[in-house]
Amino acid sequence: MTRWNDGSDEIAAVSPDITDEANALPAEYFTDPSVFEMEKESVFGQYWIYAGHESAIPEAGRYFTRTIGDRQIIVTRDADGDVRAFYNVCAHRGSKMLDDTPMTDPGDLSRITCPYHLWSYELDGTLASTPKSFEEATLNPDIDDDEIPALDPEENGLAEVTTDSIGPLVFVNFAEEPRLSLAEQAGSMKSDLEALPIGDYQLARRYVSEVECNWKTFGSNYSECDHCAANHQDWISGVEIGDSELEVNDYHWILHYKYTEETDDEVRIHEEDEGRFYYFWPNFTFNLYGTADGYGTYYVDPIDEGRIQLVADYYFESTDITDDEAELIRTSRQLQEEDFEIVERQHEGLRTGALGQGHLGPNEHSVHRLHRLAQEAYDA
Amino acid sequence: MSGSEPHAGVVTCPTCELHVRVAEPNDAIEVYRRHGRVTGHDVEWERVALDVTTTSADVGSALADLDDGRPEGVPIGVLAAALSPRGVPIADVLDGLYELRMEGAIYEPTDDHVRVL
Repeated sequence: MTRWNDGSDEIAAVSPDITDEANALPAEYFTDPSVFEMEKESVFGQYWIYAGHESAIPEAGRYFTRTIGDRQIIVTRDADGDVRAFYNVCAHRGSKMLDDTPMTDPGDLSRITCPYHLWSYELDGTLASTPKSFEEATLNPDIDDDEIPALDPEENGLAEVTTDSIGPLVFVNFAEEPRLSLAEQAGSMKSDLEALPIGDYQLARRYVSEVECNWKTFGSNYSECDHCAANHQDWISGVEIGDSELEVNDYHWILHYKYTEETDDEVRIHEEDEGRFYYFWPNFTFNLYGTADGYGTYYVDPIDEGRIQLVADYYFESTDITDDEAELIRTSRQLQEEDFEIVERQHEGLRTGALGQGHLGPNEHSVHRLHRLAQEAYDA
Repeated sequence: MSGSEPHAGVVTCPTCELHVRVAEPNDAIEVYRRHGRVTGHDVEWERVALDVTTTSADVGSALADLDDGRPEGVPIGVLAAALSPRGVPIADVLDGLYELRMEGAIYEPTDDHVRVL
């Protein structure tokens, strides 16, 4: 049941059962700046968050940086070939070390060096060297050089962030002890994607957009297709939406959709004659379009409670894309722009404060799951 | 957006087909930094809705033109907006300001606002 902020209704927690009355997250959770501040820790600090694609850092020393909420990390490959992530913060006095370096234009280094006092770290995060001024008390007459304790390389190394992967997709978890492993959070999505040769594909295009809505508003819209008939008319004309299925799992959900015409097996990365849109809590999507040999990923980074940055990446066999691949990107961009219009309208409505709590329909069970997960995160 | 809300213009990244309406001039600089962080692309002014002009394409001279003595300084976004019609991209404005700061020729009395010495 819809609840208006007119004094007659009271909002309630999201019901476990979608058929109960209060089945949506209250509207204030989409507009309140303090909720977003809380989410930085309770959501983005506790669950597995997409960091980037391993293909950007094929060799030791290649790296990119990533900002998640207030946290800034370096994602690199160490001398043993393992992908690792560290806070982009020097162990000496907390300076930001490396300039922002996008995954699309990764950097290369043999050691991570802070430009402030030139503390230098190995690619495994251990302290490699400090300038002589940290070994000789030249300016301090109260200390003899032999009184200066040696700096333990491990204890004075960089703060590492827990990483794990689904194929080439690297995720990080900022919790000291993650409540779930990536395999537990991803469930069958991990085995689904790892059965596909997604590591053989290259990042061919990245489009980054800014949208005026809450990240959960965008995520909720992505998660259902009840809006498709009215808002994605070009796309829906080629899709048998009646034959589609919205499969909801613990932390991910999948829209399986069929095309009206059979697609060529040769142009699909997966076997089934269908497209698949995965949404992985809290803010990552994996898109198997079914009409071109490749895939896409989105991550939905909140800028604040009312704005997101949508990073859309497209992976194909070559960065020199074919006409079919260019057409797939065009279609995808059209879907994005159509979605931007409707989520911005929704956010504008929510910001008025008129609505206390919306009401989800039976085919919005994926949205219900997203709202339940948000509430669980807040209550944890 | 109602007519009473501030509107400084629109910034764009042609590669990403990004068009962001910015309320305050320095919001353009925030978009520039935020977008560059994940793409490496340079965001530019697409349309400026501010009444700011300068006679020079030189960053230091333009700042001197615009510095009207306000203690908080000139918003970097205003400087970039004024230089945009002269073909100076935001990236060059920020690089120019960095060099001027490192030479001690200008200072930053408040965040992302600059003044000549």
